[in-house]
Amino acid sequence: MSGNSVIEMVDVRRYFIVGDFVVKALDGITMDIRQGEFVSIMGPSGSGKSTMMNMIGCLDRPTSGIIRIDGTNTTEFSERDLAYVRNEKIGFVFQQFNLLGKLSALDNVMTPLLYARISPRERKEIAIEALERVGLGERMKHRPNELSGGQKQRVAIARALVNNPSLILADEPTGALDTKTGNQIMELFEQLNAEGRTIVLVTHNRELGMACRRQILIRDGRLED
Amino acid sequence: MIWENIKLAFSSMKVNKMRTLLSLLGIIIGVGAVVAILTLGNSATASISSSISAGGLEMVSIFPASGQKSSETFDEQFCETLKSSVDGIDFVLPVNTGTSKLRNGQKTTNAQISGVPSNYAALLNYEAEAGSFFSQNDNLLKRQVCVLGSDIANELFPDGNAVGQYVSIFRTQAKSYQVVGVMKSKDPLLSIMFDNFVYIPYNTFTQRFRKVSMVGSYVVRTSDDADPIKVGDSITNYLNALVGKDAYDLFSPATLAEMSKSITSTFSNFLAAIAAISLLVGGIGIMNIMLVSVSERTREIGVRKALGATNRDIMGQFITEAVALTMVGGFFGIVVGTAISVAVTNLVSWTLHISYSSYIIAVGFSMIIGLFFGWYPARKAARLDPIESLNYE
Repeated sequence: MSGNSVIEMVDVRRYFIVGDFVVKALDGITMDIRQGEFVSIMGPSGSGKSTMMNMIGCLDRPTSGIIRIDGTNTTEFSERDLAYVRNEKIGFVFQQFNLLGKLSALDNVMTPLLYARISPRERKEIAIEALERVGLGERMKHRPNELSGGQKQRVAIARALVNNPSLILADEPTGALDTKTGNQIMELFEQLNAEGRTIVLVTHNRELGMACRRQILIRDGRLED
Repeated sequence: MIWENIKLAFSSMKVNKMRTLLSLLGIIIGVGAVVAILTLGNSATASISSSISAGGLEMVSIFPASGQKSSETFDEQFCETLKSSVDGIDFVLPVNTGTSKLRNGQKTTNAQISGVPSNYAALLNYEAEAGSFFSQNDNLLKRQVCVLGSDIANELFPDGNAVGQYVSIFRTQAKSYQVVGVMKSKDPLLSIMFDNFVYIPYNTFTQRFRKVSMVGSYVVRTSDDADPIKVGDSITNYLNALVGKDAYDLFSPATLAEMSKSITSTFSNFLAAIAAISLLVGGIGIMNIMLVSVSERTREIGVRKALGATNRDIMGQFITEAVALTMVGGFFGIVVGTAISVAVTNLVSWTLHISYSSYIIAVGFSMIIGLFFGWYPARKAARLDPIESLNYE
C-alpha cells in the first residue's frame, strides 16, 4: 500500500451557485489514494460524495485546489485532455450499468478502445480478454437486454478494465443488484484488487464501504476522521 | 472511427424504422422530384429534338409575306439568286400551295395542292409507289397531270390502280387531271405533310390553277458539310438586307430544335430548383428528428463521454448519423424519381433519358443537407455536460 499516488487532492473546493446561495459541495478536501488501494468513499446523500466522484473521474473541475492523477495536475486541463484522461486512466462502473443498449456486450467493452483509437483487430482481442476475465466469455454477442443484472455489471466492469486504467471508479456498483449478486460483484472487485488494481468505490452503504480496506468518510463537503 | 460511426448510424435507423422513414419523407420527395424533373426534362428535350430533326434538320423554308417588295423579289428565279448568294446551300425549290376539293366519281376529299418543279421528288428522296413523279416535260408543257400523296390516293382510290385515272380538282371550276404517280408514305418534313398533298407541275399551277405573282414558299436544303443553323442565319441576314425582315418568314428546324432544347432545359432546371426548395423543408425534418434523437440519447452521450469520447467524437457520431440518414433518403429519392420518370415516359411514349447528373446532384445535395441540418443537433450533443447527461432520466 505504499505505491505511487494515483489520485491526489490538495484543498479541493467545488462551489455551485444556486440562485442567491453558494452551495459548498466540496469545501477543502485534501487526500491521497495510492496504487493498489481498495478505498471506499462514504457519506450520506448530499454530503458531496457524488461531486467527489465527479472530480476523481475527471467529469468536473474544481473551483479551486489541485487534483493530480498519476502525478499530473489536471486542474487546468481542457475538455479534450480530460476526455483523454477519462479514457486512459479511469474505468467507470455505474449503479445503473450504463451499457449502450444497441450494442452487444463485446461492442460495449470495445467502446473505450475505439476512443483510444486502437485498431479494430486489437480492440476485439483486448475486449474478449476482458470479458473472459469477468467470466462472460460465453455471452459476448448478447445485448444488454438479454443479460441479467449481475451479467450487465460484469460487462460494465470488463469495459472499465479494458483500457487498463490507473483506477476503477465504481459508483454504488451493487445498488441495483440483489444481495447475492452484489456479493459476487464485490468478490470480483476484491480479486481485481488482489491483482494489483486500484479501486475506488463510492457508496452510502456502510456495510459495503466497511468491506473495503480503507474508508474515506465525507460529510458537508469535508472529510471526517 | 468513421466506419464505426456509420455502423452506429444504421443501427439507430433500424431501431425505429417507421420514424426513420417518416423523417426521411421530405428528403425522399425532394430528391425524387429533382431527379424526376431533370430526367423528364432530358427525355422531353431528346424527344422534341428527335421529332424536329425527323423533320429534316438540314432543311430551311422561306415563306414570303405579301407586299410589294416581296412580290418583286420572290419569283422563280430567286431560287438561283439565293443559292449563289448564300454559302452552304445544296438546292432551293419553289413551292406554291393552295387548298382544294378533289373528286373521283362519288368520292371527294380536301387536299393541299402543291405546284412544284419536276425534280422535287428526287431532291427530297420522295419515292413513287406506282407510276412516277411528273416529268420536266409535263412542267414545261404545263400538262394537267398530278401525283397523289399516299393518304389522298387511299381516300380517292381505295382499290388502288390510281395511275392513269383522272381526278377533278376544284378551283373556280372543276378541272380534270390525269394521275401519273402515287407516292410512298413519307414522314412529315418541314411541316409538309407529304401524304396529304397532291402535286402538280409548277407551271401548271401558276397558269391553270392560280395566277401567282410570287412564289408561295421556298424549300432550301443546306449542304451536308454546312451547319444548318449558320446557313439559316446567313439566309436571314441576306434576306434582311435585301427585303427587310417583315417581307418573309423563315423556318429552320435546326434553329427550332436548338431553341426548344434550351427552353426545355431552362424550364426543367427552373422546376428542379423549385423542387430543391422542398429539400430544405426535408432538411428541417432531419434536424427535428436529430434533435429528438440527441435528447433521447442524452444518457448514451454521457456514458460515451465518461468512457473517453471527446466533444469532437460525439459531434462526428451525430453528424455521420445525420448524413447517413439524408443519404438513405437521397437513395430512396433517386429510386422514386427514376420510377416516376419511367412511368411518365412510358405513358407519353418518350424515350427515357436518365439524367445521371441528377443522381450526382441528388446525392451531393442530400449530403450537404445532412451536414447543414445535422450540424446543430450534433453540436448540441457534443456540448452536453457529462455529469448532467449521466444523471438524465
